[in-house]
Amino acid sequence: MTREKVLSDILAQVPGASAAAAPVKDYPTVRLSQPSDLPTAARLLKDELGFDYLEMVTAVDWLGPTKTEGFLPAVTPIPFAAKAPALPVTPAAGPDIAYRPVLDLLWSFGNLKTHLKVFLRLEVSREKPEVPSLTGLFPAADWQERETFDLFGVRFSGHPNLTKILTPDFLQGHPLLKDYVHQPDEFDAD
Amino acid sequence: MILDKYPAVLQAVPGGKILLTTTDDFINLGRKYSIWPLTFGLACCAIEMMAAYASRFDFDRLGVIPRPSPRQADLMIIAGTFVKKMAAPVREIYHQMPEPRFVIAMGSCANCGGPFHDAYSVVKGVDKVIPVDVYIPGCPPRPEALIYGVMELQKKIMRMKLAKGGGATLQAEKGSRDPAGGA
Repeated sequence: MTREKVLSDILAQVPGASAAAAPVKDYPTVRLSQPSDLPTAARLLKDELGFDYLEMVTAVDWLGPTKTEGFLPAVTPIPFAAKAPALPVTPAAGPDIAYRPVLDLLWSFGNLKTHLKVFLRLEVSREKPEVPSLTGLFPAADWQERETFDLFGVRFSGHPNLTKILTPDFLQGHPLLKDYVHQPDEFDAD
Repeated sequence: MILDKYPAVLQAVPGGKILLTTTDDFINLGRKYSIWPLTFGLACCAIEMMAAYASRFDFDRLGVIPRPSPRQADLMIIAGTFVKKMAAPVREIYHQMPEPRFVIAMGSCANCGGPFHDAYSVVKGVDKVIPVDVYIPGCPPRPEALIYGVMELQKKIMRMKLAKGGGATLQAEKGSRDPAGGA
């Protein structure tokens, strides 16, 4: 099985899937069109293509910088959300990546026999990010999804215990969102 | 001759073979050379702390022997980045240690938050949570710096007085502990 075969199999069997314009490094990367396609794609990967190892669940907030403080003078003025980036983007992101108000969710699947890796990408709205949980298929998704929920606020519907995993209980909000505003607590006083 | 080694602590009766000392000096001498720190590392500073325990730097020669339980420890070395979620466990471990107990803040993170000062998750100095006796700057401090910090703590221990406080460390919830030391 080659990476081209994997990619074409997914594109043929998952409705609305397309090869991502911005692949993760040079791995086969599939962009899903809607959250309900995720269980279909994951089941196809696990049961038919042998990708039995969920390596990673994470997200990218493409909102862009929301404030100028903390950036080096060389890169100011900061282009704000919905504008084309003047800042250099990472090579992995590719030229079609622009700041836009979406959360880009990312799943990485591994095949331990053929040593292939597949990435799934799915854009969800920042206002109400909700996708199906993969805990039924991959038990390893449990803590990964809790972490993504904790840091980005993504709701994984069907997760048995979607609670904070990293940040302390008193921390309000989801710190890796670009518009996160920190509420000072007892440990912040100077 | 032991009198040469501890001139300020021990004195001989003129012409006799009896050594005299004060209770304070005698007890402080014992405390000074048996500082047992808790085996407790939070981040990369702990690597330097482990190096200080190992043979090249040899903390044992100062009587510093790591203990696995807070019940047996005199000293807590906060070696590493001190995150807010760790605050409650550290406070609990600190209160499990018997008096007199000492705290060394090792490295920039434990002193003031260091490079993570602006982060949402890091406490801006361990003295926001427990009292600190000695601050060691560095990122991370070398083992020599940690050994120097323990030597400064030894000087502080020699200034402790048994009277009133019974030899306990100064009671403080948090902040920098009085440099005069003792109650």
